[in-house]
Amino acid sequence: MKISDLITSANRNLLRNKTRSFLTILAIFVGSFTIILSSAINAGVNDFIDKQVASIGGDGFIEVMPAAASEQIMERMQSGEKVTEYNEKTGSVTSASISEEDFEAMKKVDGVKELEVYHILSPEWMRLKNAEKKYNVSVEYFPVGTMNVDLSAGRMTNDKSDDYEIVVNEDWLKPFGLDKAEDAIGKTVEIATKQTVKCYVAPSDCLAVVEAKIVGVQAPGVLSVSGDLHISRALDQELYRLANEGISEESLGIYFAVGEVEPDKIEDIRKTFKEIGSGYTFITVDDTVGMIRTFFDVILTVFNIFGVIALIAAAIGIINTLFMSVQERTREIGLDKALGMSRVKIFLSFSIEAISLGFWGSVFGIIVSMLIGFSVNNFLHSEGQILETFPTFELARFSPEVIIPIVLLVMFIAFLAGTAPALQAAKKNPIDALRYE
Amino acid sequence: MEKSKLKAEERTPLIEITNLSKTYGKRSTAFKALEKINLKIYSGESVAIIGKSGSGKSTLMHLMALLDQPTKGSIKVMGANASRLKGRKLNKLRNKYFGFVFQQFFMNSNDTVLENVLLPLKIAKVSRFKRKKIALKALDIVDLENKAKNKATDLSGGQKQRVCIARAIVNNPKIIFADEPTGNLDSGTGKKIVDLLFGLNKKGVTLIIVTHDEDLAALCDRQVRIVDGNIVAETRSKRGSSLRSRSIREGEKEDR
Repeated sequence: MKISDLITSANRNLLRNKTRSFLTILAIFVGSFTIILSSAINAGVNDFIDKQVASIGGDGFIEVMPAAASEQIMERMQSGEKVTEYNEKTGSVTSASISEEDFEAMKKVDGVKELEVYHILSPEWMRLKNAEKKYNVSVEYFPVGTMNVDLSAGRMTNDKSDDYEIVVNEDWLKPFGLDKAEDAIGKTVEIATKQTVKCYVAPSDCLAVVEAKIVGVQAPGVLSVSGDLHISRALDQELYRLANEGISEESLGIYFAVGEVEPDKIEDIRKTFKEIGSGYTFITVDDTVGMIRTFFDVILTVFNIFGVIALIAAAIGIINTLFMSVQERTREIGLDKALGMSRVKIFLSFSIEAISLGFWGSVFGIIVSMLIGFSVNNFLHSEGQILETFPTFELARFSPEVIIPIVLLVMFIAFLAGTAPALQAAKKNPIDALRYE
Repeated sequence: MEKSKLKAEERTPLIEITNLSKTYGKRSTAFKALEKINLKIYSGESVAIIGKSGSGKSTLMHLMALLDQPTKGSIKVMGANASRLKGRKLNKLRNKYFGFVFQQFFMNSNDTVLENVLLPLKIAKVSRFKRKKIALKALDIVDLENKAKNKATDLSGGQKQRVCIARAIVNNPKIIFADEPTGNLDSGTGKKIVDLLFGLNKKGVTLIIVTHDEDLAALCDRQVRIVDGNIVAETRSKRGSSLRSRSIREGEKEDR
């Protein structure tokens, strides 16, 4: 018999006992549905977190601060004390700063690609060029590196050029009177900043205005809710220069630095940074979102375990169904053997029946979990629901990489469950089988 | 050339059984179904194996059809020693050269008549289109082409047996083994089956019929009588062929 004939007849045999096959498939469906849906949610959540991680700095993005500062914060958090004793050696959190010398030393550490002083900018307002209305705004610059920001239009800033560029988020479209993200690209905005020194002399006339071009629009996301807009390096330096014109560089101090490192060297860099000066630490994006990830991982692992337990129960159902099938078809097996069908083919015909049960169970699992996944997704993204502001967040993500391995796993479990009945059928003596009443 | 070939075939028996014994069970409960049987069957013959129920005649047929293994002795099929035929070769032999007609029909009741007839071809990996064509031809021979699409369960006993004959001849076999082919049928329908079987024999198919029916046995060239696992008599009927032709003529009349 050809394999195609075996598959056809296996499925026809399943149809022969519709109720029994349906119930067995139902059992497999419950298990595979649970696993598929929880894996899809896992994929959706992780994909979203990954995108968000990328939107603030990707794998290699680090924020460096003096160890003393972070230790104090940690101590306060762990002990629960609001008031802690002053430590002469480390100084206060606010005064702890990175010395010029240490900054240069950190830059030279193997694996550090870029390290820059983080400028705290406080622009006064921003408006579309020549427009009436001015808006409050906060901007920041950090190395973009290889990160993949979730953009709905345009591109990221070019930090190697001297151009003044800015990436706004979708919240700015409405104030600027724009319909689509694409419309914002190429528009010029004006950003005003107070010049500290000048303001002592002439408080009413100390604003400096810089023109910048919108090059990209960022899609909304959990980690960009702070609303800080990304600006190019050149614009960052110009705004910082204008704000602090007339103040000596030494007195400004470096509170923290931002940079990009090679992701696989992070742990080595962490160790080396601890040994520089009075010690420095940094946090990666992974540290920040690690908690969220672990939380979801635990929940979904529990769901997967339920799914596997359901599948094991279903596998016992398959064994039972097939043993019944072998018994019912004993004479048929005898006839097939008498007419020259080989043991292997008899074994295969029952194995294929088991695999088909697994296949159909998981197909129904896919269909139902997709229906549920999509409708829950749509519901949560509809107006007034919690995910309205995150259009790129697919709660359940059904990619072939997620689904196909599960289907194959379910089919494999079904195959294993079918081996015992299939072997029993294959071993039958044709005459005994034909004589069976 | 042709003649010498024919002669060679006549000289080597199609099936040659030597000192064949079959025992069921072990030691104290052992039951000797067959004891030291010697038999030669030549190509084109029609042989009846006669005996009462439990005489061992069915066991003998099963052994000749290589559906079962003997306890002792040897079976040669077309000159090849059966004990050496295993796995693929054995399956191929049964599939290509043997046809079976059973008293209980053994049809897959949920399948159509056509599906039942083409089963041997399906096992032989014949393509869908070709096997359908051949199976319809076989159904035409048994005069049931119009029932091809019917479920096997919807047929009468005689029609079922004719479907079984169609299935037995669909692979163009050299030997047809028939186990009480008329056992479950009334005499009228039985005659039709007999005509079909001997019609095939006339075309060169070797026929081995297991029966307790003396009349049916008398139609064969040769009768092998079995009692308690031993061959007690072998007769050759000279009038077998004439009886047969009369029966066929009567059958034809009935058809009209």
